[in-house]
Amino acid sequence: MTPRSPQQVASRLDFWQALSGAVLALFICVHLVLEGSVVLSPKITDWIGWIMEEVYLAQVAAPLILLIIVFHFWVAARKMPFRAGELRIYFQHSRELGDADTSLWLVQVVTATIILVGAFFHVYSVMVDMPLEVDKSAMRLHEGWVVFYVFFLPACILHTGIGVYRIGVKYGFISKARREFWRKTIWIVMGAYLLLGTCAITRVWFIGDALIQAVQ
Amino acid sequence: MQIHYCDVLSVGAGLAGERVAVEAAQAGYKVICLSIVPPRRSHSSAAQGGMQAALGNSIMGDGDSPEIHFNDTVKGSDWGCDQEVARIFAEQAPIAMREMAFMGVPWNRVVPGEHTYYKGGKPFQATEKKENEGLIHSRAFGGTAKWRTCYTSDGTGHAVLFTLDNRMLELGVQVHDRMQAEALIHDGERCMGVIARNLRTGELEAYIANATLIATGGFGRLYRATTNAVICDGGGQIIAQDTGIVPLGNMEAVQFHPTGTVPTDILVTEGCRGDGGTLLDVNEYRFMPDYEPEKAELASRDVVSRRMTEHMRKGFGVKSPYGDHLWLDIRHLGEKHITTNLREVYDICRHFLGVNPIHQLIPVRPTQHYSMGGVRVNKDGHAYGLKGLFAAGEAACWDMHGFNRLGGNSLAETVVAGRVVGKKVVEFLQGDSMVYKADAMRDALRGVEQRIENLKKGTGDDCYTLRNEMQDAMMEYVGIFRNGKDLQKGVDKLQEILERTKNMRLAGKGQRGQDAEMAMALRVPGMVRLALTIAYGALQRTESRGAHAREDFPERNDRDWLKRTLATWKPGDSLPTLTYEEATPFFILPPGDRGYGGGKIIDGPDIPAEKLVSFAEKKEAQGA
Amino acid sequence: MGRTLTFEIFRYNPSDPDSKPHMQTYTLEETPSMTLFIALNKIREEQDPTLQFDFCCRAGICGSCGMVINGRPGLACHTQTADLPDKITLHPLPVFKLLGDLSVDTGTWFRGVGKKIESWIHTKKQFDENAPEERMDNELANQIFELDRCVECGCCVAACGTARMRDDFIGATSINRLARFYIDPRDERKSSDYYELIGDDSGVFGCMGLLACDNVCPKQIPLQDQLGVMRRMVTLESVKAIIPDFIRNKLVGCPDKND
Repeated sequence: MTPRSPQQVASRLDFWQALSGAVLALFICVHLVLEGSVVLSPKITDWIGWIMEEVYLAQVAAPLILLIIVFHFWVAARKMPFRAGELRIYFQHSRELGDADTSLWLVQVVTATIILVGAFFHVYSVMVDMPLEVDKSAMRLHEGWVVFYVFFLPACILHTGIGVYRIGVKYGFISKARREFWRKTIWIVMGAYLLLGTCAITRVWFIGDALIQAVQ
Repeated sequence: MQIHYCDVLSVGAGLAGERVAVEAAQAGYKVICLSIVPPRRSHSSAAQGGMQAALGNSIMGDGDSPEIHFNDTVKGSDWGCDQEVARIFAEQAPIAMREMAFMGVPWNRVVPGEHTYYKGGKPFQATEKKENEGLIHSRAFGGTAKWRTCYTSDGTGHAVLFTLDNRMLELGVQVHDRMQAEALIHDGERCMGVIARNLRTGELEAYIANATLIATGGFGRLYRATTNAVICDGGGQIIAQDTGIVPLGNMEAVQFHPTGTVPTDILVTEGCRGDGGTLLDVNEYRFMPDYEPEKAELASRDVVSRRMTEHMRKGFGVKSPYGDHLWLDIRHLGEKHITTNLREVYDICRHFLGVNPIHQLIPVRPTQHYSMGGVRVNKDGHAYGLKGLFAAGEAACWDMHGFNRLGGNSLAETVVAGRVVGKKVVEFLQGDSMVYKADAMRDALRGVEQRIENLKKGTGDDCYTLRNEMQDAMMEYVGIFRNGKDLQKGVDKLQEILERTKNMRLAGKGQRGQDAEMAMALRVPGMVRLALTIAYGALQRTESRGAHAREDFPERNDRDWLKRTLATWKPGDSLPTLTYEEATPFFILPPGDRGYGGGKIIDGPDIPAEKLVSFAEKKEAQGA
Repeated sequence: MGRTLTFEIFRYNPSDPDSKPHMQTYTLEETPSMTLFIALNKIREEQDPTLQFDFCCRAGICGSCGMVINGRPGLACHTQTADLPDKITLHPLPVFKLLGDLSVDTGTWFRGVGKKIESWIHTKKQFDENAPEERMDNELANQIFELDRCVECGCCVAACGTARMRDDFIGATSINRLARFYIDPRDERKSSDYYELIGDDSGVFGCMGLLACDNVCPKQIPLQDQLGVMRRMVTLESVKAIIPDFIRNKLVGCPDKND
């Protein structure tokens, strides 16, 4: 093996950032589809939840995903404009330039912060309220969590969509010639997920409504 | 004041300057290059077409040799060139091209098999040889018997300049950009460097060097309509002429390019015509074959430019708010060809003219393009009159171009002369020790300081007014077609302008740091003197040769004018002092007909046998 | 009839302690085919000789005249006023050192990165005057020239969010330049050498894929595609021991430069 340079760590960080991002993106895609099954029937969702718990996937995966989120955030944060003035410079730059891709990165920074904080609450609230059941979720929504998800869900979808697009661009998988196509495709997919997520939340909300009325 | 020391100082960091610098740095000498702009912005980068070298790899260049290249060059020069130098050039050119390939230039290469090319708008087929696959390819340029022009798409100058500048980085050659040389430091015998003005700070700095090279390019900015960059103001020629010792050679030999665009004067490459572009008049009629049945659009530049002017004078020009022009038609070359091989042309048309050359005609007219004349040097690049002063490239009159240079020969000259002169500079340094005289430096410094002080006290016209008047006088009286009456008017007008420069004022009062007006104001008097040198030399030369076309003397006169003008400017004079020397120390190709351009020739006496040599004969210059 | 154009131009002379950064207004009658080159020179020659800006070839080839035109970096010489609104705001390029008004020091910056990335052919061979040139595929020569077309105007650097925030980022232009050497068989450097040069956050990993470089490049060089090629190569180099060689070779642009 050739001797490694001192840049090794930095170099691998970028790889880990992309890899952890890709894993999380995959997770979100699957997670949202599974949750979205509630639109068809809450029974399917409950059944999926039951299997997850039986094989201990939920108990293991949830903290693991959290860890990956923290890791992903930590790795990617080296790019975030923490230093005094940096954010201001970037903000001004993006406003003057009027370039969509440059502004999208600000979206990434904002959504990243929302997700990091949000993911804790999301996972915590679900984990302390085991087992995974639609009815429980429905009750939580009515306890005020619905406001949380109105922010959390779009943040997750936006961050994932833009993130995937950026990995494609940064690693040269989305070439200049195909960029327009991918840009459009990703917006469509994000739109579809947002629609699915919104339907799911609405459905669960009404399930909660019904539950509350039944209790009364 | 800051003083810098080095072995070699190159004033100019374009192709010629950098090639010399690379040669000297490879030999281990400390080299500094001065440049008005960062070196990669030098005007060399704007050369699109290519470099001529007799590699003979392409099928249309099959059987080419340095001798054929030499013959084309001499004919192109209208026998005004130094044949010894032209031979050195033609022989060295293939090596220089290969060396550039070695350093990293992405020359276009031979692709075996059949391909279509256009000549005079008609398609022809040619089949490239399999055994030459991957060797350096060549394209057609005007005035040549073979396809000989090596190229990289249409950014040859750019690609070669970047490659050379990369080599400079590798060798650690220092480049001091935004430095404008204002005076040579010399004692009347020996050149010791320059006084330069730092364009960032406005401060004067001294550069002390054993060998000083002038490689500042041409002086197109003496004309209003020029394809040259704004920095091509003849700075190198000015500081050489200011010595009063170093002569400028053949300054009246100024080339106009047939295809400067209207109104921006940006050049579109000769490659357009080489690849089959045609010239059309107001009726969209192709007129060149009527004048030049054999070569049509591909006759040499001086001929095409004059024929275009002639045709416009007959009333066939296209009227526009910017004056008459003609059309260049490349539509038949097709979208793919235009957007790849001629992409710079495409970009220029789209961005500067708002014309799409795939579907539309390009407005063109002859525009000042190249200065054959310059600092007169011997075959080693050593300037006449001052030891330790060298010149190369367009700034020099090494004199392989005579009265007209062929397309692709100037860009080739930069690296070939750079290579040759670079080696001679190294030889010079090896047999030399540092000469430095403090009072010579003080004198030069004081001279520049004095000029700056005078400017601050001036009350007359500002520099832009004077420059514009000079440019207009040059366009009007010293253009493509010349005659005694107009030239005299030009000389008178320029002398008047020169007088007025003595009381030039700074409209902006001079400011700290960067001051573009001061930089220009310091240049203008020298530019007017160069303009006068051109006008006066042209007035005295009562013949037509190459680019120098006198309506009142239409013949090429080998009897009286087979010689080179040498112009020095004695301090305090209002005109240059002209002397003449033999055009060439010997003849390989005795004077004859160029085969294009028409025109009568007044024959000179027969060339004595001892002055005739064959191309292969390595005879030293007679009496040189 | 021509429009009357209003120019808002940034003025500041850093060499003059009394000078303060401010915007100055000039008005000018528009003429046909007017470019910013024509307009700015007219202003300097007729209205304000103290105005500083840089032009050289005025033909979009030399890259001297990069400036921020109504918020976007571009070459002034090939910007036609006809394509702009009545009010034109001009700023110098950010990131580069300001010399005066619209003039910035791109020369020093580019020489610096040129040295840093060792922008030259690395070879142990010696030039042989008597040998024919080494052969090269014409398609490859064209590809190299495609990447060599960069004129170093600095627009991509000025448009880059990373470059604005980090002084040491070498910018798309430098990575593109290195990509030119990567595909050039005359350059004997291996993936590991390139990795040493640009395998960190001041190099290829500094790029956040913001794409503005690509969008403003006056030469339309596909900068981001080159960044992608280089990033993939350097990243794969960084995980050499982790990912099997046959996969690595599939993913990189020039497998023969892997060692």
